[in-house]
Amino acid sequence: MKIKKIALLMVVLLLAFATIMAGCGDNNSKENSNGNKPSGTQSSSPNETGDKTGDKLDPVKLKVYLIGGPQRDLPSVQEEMNKYLTEKINATVDITMIDWGDYSKRLPVITASGENYDIAFTSSWAFDYLPNANRGAFLPINDLLEKYGQDIKKELDPRFLIGSQVNGKNYAVPVNKELASQWVWRFNKQYVDKYKMDITKIRTLEDLEPYLKQIKEGEPADITPLAVPKGFKPYMPFDFLLGDEFPVGINMNSSDGKYVNILESEELKSSLKTIRNYYQAGYLRKDVATLEGIDNIKTGKWFADREQTQPYAELGWSRSAGYDIVSSPMQDPVIFTGSATGSMHAISANSKNPERAMMFLNLLNTDKYLRNLINYGIEGTHYKKISEDVIEDLPAMKDGYQMPGFALGNLFLTYSHKDDPTDKWEAFKKFNDSAKVAPSFGFNFNPGPVKTEVASISAIVKEFYPPIMTGAVDPDEHLPKAIAKMKSAGLDKVIAEAQKQFDEWKATNQ
Amino acid sequence: MNNLSESMERTLIHSPGKKSRDINAISPLWNFIFNVGICLFALSCIFPFIFIIIISFTDEKSLAINGFSILPKVLSLDAYRFLMRSGEQMAQSLGVTLLVTVIGTVLTLYLVSTYAYAISRKNFDQRGFFSFLAFFTMLFSGGLVPSYIVVTQVLHLRDTLWALILPSILNAFYIIVMRTFFTTTVPDAIIESAKIDGATEFGIYTRIVLPISLPGIATIGLFSTLGFWNDWFNALLYIDNPNLIPLQTLLIRIQNNMDFIVQNSSKVVSYDIAATLPTETVRMAMVVLATLPIALAYPFFQKYFIQGLTIGSVKE
Repeated sequence: MKIKKIALLMVVLLLAFATIMAGCGDNNSKENSNGNKPSGTQSSSPNETGDKTGDKLDPVKLKVYLIGGPQRDLPSVQEEMNKYLTEKINATVDITMIDWGDYSKRLPVITASGENYDIAFTSSWAFDYLPNANRGAFLPINDLLEKYGQDIKKELDPRFLIGSQVNGKNYAVPVNKELASQWVWRFNKQYVDKYKMDITKIRTLEDLEPYLKQIKEGEPADITPLAVPKGFKPYMPFDFLLGDEFPVGINMNSSDGKYVNILESEELKSSLKTIRNYYQAGYLRKDVATLEGIDNIKTGKWFADREQTQPYAELGWSRSAGYDIVSSPMQDPVIFTGSATGSMHAISANSKNPERAMMFLNLLNTDKYLRNLINYGIEGTHYKKISEDVIEDLPAMKDGYQMPGFALGNLFLTYSHKDDPTDKWEAFKKFNDSAKVAPSFGFNFNPGPVKTEVASISAIVKEFYPPIMTGAVDPDEHLPKAIAKMKSAGLDKVIAEAQKQFDEWKATNQ
Repeated sequence: MNNLSESMERTLIHSPGKKSRDINAISPLWNFIFNVGICLFALSCIFPFIFIIIISFTDEKSLAINGFSILPKVLSLDAYRFLMRSGEQMAQSLGVTLLVTVIGTVLTLYLVSTYAYAISRKNFDQRGFFSFLAFFTMLFSGGLVPSYIVVTQVLHLRDTLWALILPSILNAFYIIVMRTFFTTTVPDAIIESAKIDGATEFGIYTRIVLPISLPGIATIGLFSTLGFWNDWFNALLYIDNPNLIPLQTLLIRIQNNMDFIVQNSSKVVSYDIAATLPTETVRMAMVVLATLPIALAYPFFQKYFIQGLTIGSVKE
């Protein structure tokens, strides 16, 4: 009897172990869902004629996935939208909002399951545009744009469409917004005023020194002079291959168009010396190398940090912080491929009505009424108009309709608020026009051939970057170690592959 | 600890000179040491939860300035007030979670125990086949995408409560545990004698087998209650209607959004996601409200565990 029981126990334990193992397997398959890959061919439903009167079109319902927190009042706003859309293009939309953190987890599953939705939000940072376009999840839209999206092409800065091309084709309609990216130093204004600093003089990391010193000596110990978390990196004038968490890029100060190892550049070496001195002088938090995030904005106990900007960003920062924040640029604005793909709407390869989906996107990006309806809700319920293009939020907006404007469509059509500067959108256009284009703008690297190297180098970056880039360890000792480790993981192979693809792309795009 | 001091007192009162202790008992000193050790261990298990409760009663501003502390400088009920005021979603989600847990557990118990009982009976012809059927799914699963397709496109369960219940209702592991339990605690002799007395198969199951299998049922009941209560992944995949979101999914959503903000703060410049998230204290208050009910349910199962899983009814 006893032996029988022990044997049974063993079996149960074995099974439990098997379950756990199976569970692990499950998790892996959640990470990379290898679903069936829909081929990127046109679906065949040519029931459209080119005219847009709305009489001859059959009624269709478009399934749309957007990023952002689900909103209570979306159904009522959607009803209003559908009245208008039925009139215009005889279509209705069924919008599903999926929360920020869940979007990139859920959309790949929905896509792999072959569901025939019509439109989905995609970008360089959520439900990633490039791999999904390569995989054939999206429909190539160049023909549709020609036919039904002429108005989009008129409104949109042409560089958006160039920058979002994959192998010479467009797979999504970019949202017209700020196109360039620019890093700035941000400062807590109360200290700037207190010490009568002239922050316009500050541009480089080295320029900060005297000001940090003043704060360190003059203010209590709990004020962090340079309040940055472990993600901090000194500004590098490079056109990065795979974002700033990967040490390969083209130096923007040289014109040779060569990908190099950033960790071996002179610029980085001198910056690391500086940040190391700052760390030792106590200008950064002692635990910076392990600090996931920093809530300096909330506590107000900080002097400087770094952030990416856009026109009038200072107003927004100050508004959400509740005190004044000012900034000073580290660089001139630059247009990267990634900034062109910051917010887009793709038409699914499985869509049954790609033509109508494009008509809807065309309206969304050009029709002022529709664009503001989806963004701000219903006039009189969610907002009231103060003048033609200026609105004031009503309480219902905060309670039940807060939509992320930048992820919905052409930003330049949206109403502004009464405390916004009147020339806000002009400033955006100016900002875009003033920016210079990065050497690799429009080039999309395909990491496929060096996938394993990229993955293992990224892992090394995660381990070495935080302590080195924040000055927490001595760069003279640890930087060579990091470089050696990355080289043995195949960094040079990645650089060679990048160069090869880049040169090919350049040859066809001159 | 109380018992210890009482027994000390008793020994002092009854036998002032001489100790009259049980021969097998450990000495009071060691007993005391062991007790302290166990107390410390228990405290270390429960402390994190106590800490969460403390944080949920702390004033948000003092939290940002002073950081976490066991004795908060400023106490406040703001977090709970906030939840009460904007608590529609919270109450709704709590309701969904309760409903799913109750229906799910009842159905799970019924299906698992009947299935397990059937394959535990030696005179059931297809026993091997059905055991294998359950066992096979433990080792090989279709993966995420096929199950997504089954739930959404074959069964059309998207945005229904059934999407939260059906996918996890028949758990192979529970079946194996239950079958083992039946084979070890329900002797064939009992079933034989019930048959001789003229009981039907179903009558044997409900009137004989179930009553003597309560510990096993309770165990599986607890497992599946916890499973349904803590499940968030199904809702993440299948539920878009905010009225059907369970509590844990609400919490995991907040967690996911926070991770997202930490990773992508620079990319989403123009929109303040952080402003739409509940504050630290409110999050902790939500955790308290989500965990407390299930923690309180545990003592009800306790007595079955104490009885243990080895109660038989016939001596062999």
